[in-house]
Amino acid sequence: MGQIEWAMWANEQALAAGLIMLTGGIVAVAGQFKGWYFAAYAIVAGVLVCLLEYPRSKRIKGSTMERCGQKYLTAVVKLFGPLTRNYYIRAVLHAALAVPAGFLLSTILGTVCLAIASGIYLLAAVRGEEWRPIEQKPRERPHMGDTIKQPPSNPPPRPPAEARRKQPPEAGGQVNPIPVEAE
Amino acid sequence: MALSWRSWLANEGSKHLFLFFWLSLNVWFFGKTFLLYYQGLQYYYLHQMLGLGLCVSRASASVLNLNCCLVLLPMCRVLLAFLRGSQRVASRKTRRLLDKSKTFHVTCGVTICIFSVLHVAAHLVNALNFSENYNEDFPAINAANYRGEDPRKLLFATVPGLTGVIMVLVLFLMCTASTYAIRVSNYDIFWYTHNLFFVFYILLMLHVSGGVLKYQTNLEEHPPGCFNPNKTLRQNMTMPKAFEELFPDYTTECFPQDLPVPEPFVQNNLMRICSEEPKFQSHFPETWLWISGPLCLYCVERLYRYIRSNKPVTITSVISHPSNVLEVRMVKDDFKARPGQYVILHCPRVSTLESHPFTLTMCPTDTKATFGVHLKVVGDWTERFRDLLLLHSNQDAEILPIFQQRRYPNDDWKCYKLRRLYFVWVCRDVESFRWFADLLCMLHNKLWQENRPDYINIQLYLSQTDGIQKIIGEKYQALNSRLLIGRPRWKLLFDEIAKCNRRKTIGVFCCGPNKISKILHKLSNSSNSYGTRFEYNKESFS
Repeated sequence: MGQIEWAMWANEQALAAGLIMLTGGIVAVAGQFKGWYFAAYAIVAGVLVCLLEYPRSKRIKGSTMERCGQKYLTAVVKLFGPLTRNYYIRAVLHAALAVPAGFLLSTILGTVCLAIASGIYLLAAVRGEEWRPIEQKPRERPHMGDTIKQPPSNPPPRPPAEARRKQPPEAGGQVNPIPVEAE
Repeated sequence: MALSWRSWLANEGSKHLFLFFWLSLNVWFFGKTFLLYYQGLQYYYLHQMLGLGLCVSRASASVLNLNCCLVLLPMCRVLLAFLRGSQRVASRKTRRLLDKSKTFHVTCGVTICIFSVLHVAAHLVNALNFSENYNEDFPAINAANYRGEDPRKLLFATVPGLTGVIMVLVLFLMCTASTYAIRVSNYDIFWYTHNLFFVFYILLMLHVSGGVLKYQTNLEEHPPGCFNPNKTLRQNMTMPKAFEELFPDYTTECFPQDLPVPEPFVQNNLMRICSEEPKFQSHFPETWLWISGPLCLYCVERLYRYIRSNKPVTITSVISHPSNVLEVRMVKDDFKARPGQYVILHCPRVSTLESHPFTLTMCPTDTKATFGVHLKVVGDWTERFRDLLLLHSNQDAEILPIFQQRRYPNDDWKCYKLRRLYFVWVCRDVESFRWFADLLCMLHNKLWQENRPDYINIQLYLSQTDGIQKIIGEKYQALNSRLLIGRPRWKLLFDEIAKCNRRKTIGVFCCGPNKISKILHKLSNSSNSYGTRFEYNKESFS
């Protein structure tokens, strides 16, 4: 369990919770339930949470799967610097956003889910995780000229480069200690 | 690429047919239950109180029953492997359908999530209606204690309500941890949260034992909507509209809802007089019948796997290959395996809870009981395992990994009368080919001696290159000449194979990342001018 990145799971949960809150809010506003202003708040909070959580953070080791079109939101989220980078702040923010939606029946599920996400973010923050933006790698144009450094010095036939070197070709080579049999 | 109907039918036909059958079953259950509660006489008063919320919640509950039952079955892997390997399942089509068990499990899981949302929403509306439309005439039918009781009390202070809420939270945790991104990056989170399914099922059994919704038992003596002359007519008295027209003097004001009048009542056109008060009774929890079977089956299977895995295995040798790959050879009593199967290794000294699957790279034969796996050191478990084997190899028997053998379905190649084998292997690093270079060369030589040089066609591709000519090693001349730089051009490869094997059926077996899999799948379904058919098979662990 050593290398679990809790923030990634918290991110999925927060995104789902934002959507749940948004849906509950829309239903309550459309049905004009009692206390529908809580629902209006839930819609705004849901949208905010979704926008904040949409860009996935870069993993510590390995490649990260980006969400479709997340680079635009990454640029925006990056602007807030430590406010969005630090997971303690995110945990507190989600907990605070979750509370008002708890007063209406249709958004109460969103509240609980967001609270769970906030808890997992706290765990991630305690373990020192941080939000890192996924940068776009500049596409390297294949340089055609690089491999051609100098014209060959020997006339043909020319053995491959490895044979020309005096050292053994298989440095640290593979010698199977146990013979392989094909059956 | 034009679609070939024959290929598409061979690859997708039975899958889609099965899916259609499952979908029809769901629609039928939903529709049947919906109509039962919408029109059934025994639910007349309940429907009047709750409205459409009753019908939607019960209909979605019946779909949930079906899917909670079905979702466990594809995970009984020992049973499925037994079915797949036995003579009874002779058809290749059925075997390939059984291969799709994980996809079916995911489909049922997604359905459970969607219908849970519907079910919860409908019950929230029901809670509100139980509270507002409290029925003073027939108090037995109510879930609330008085009119206007806080619906939140109904949700959180009753057994069905509380269990329902906790189940939703468990489902939320399981669902968010099961996304593809999480499975690929942090499989542990997925595995541990998914084992909460047991809590979910226990809560489900408690959830349905509440008996909140009741049906009327004495329909003969008290046809719903009948006239009770002893009772004074109050505002919420049930009076169908047809009644109002017949007896305007006896009716009161508005009828709360425009309900369909029960058919027999209208047809008889009689004023039925109630001989007694309606009696209500809770349902027997049907869900227990649905889920107890699969749950017991799955628990038995897990127990069986656990018991069988308690016999340790002896490691005979550990070989270190380039590019961070380790080959581990082992022996175990009474172990039989076929090529294409995988085993799950569990080493308590590395991690008490984790276990990981590895495809067998060497199977035990009649003459030699050793079997082996190649494992690539990628994450913390494999790192610790390698350190344990290589650095602390002087320590004794405690290291023996306890291991589980599973029969993984992809030994399908036996169904094809193998005439020719095309082996296409794509690696990033040229050193990686050394993992099996000896074996390939030996095989090539053996077939050459037997005068069957074209039985195996080996093609090795190096996908990442820095421009310098690479060879695998001086002694692997057979492989060096078959090493190609760059990614394979699948369309050309398929065309060439189709041309050389006209009108035959070719099995395509892919083990690799999703992108390659998608391309190969599409190519297997597309048409070619030689009448060759490609059947697509895939193996993936995540």
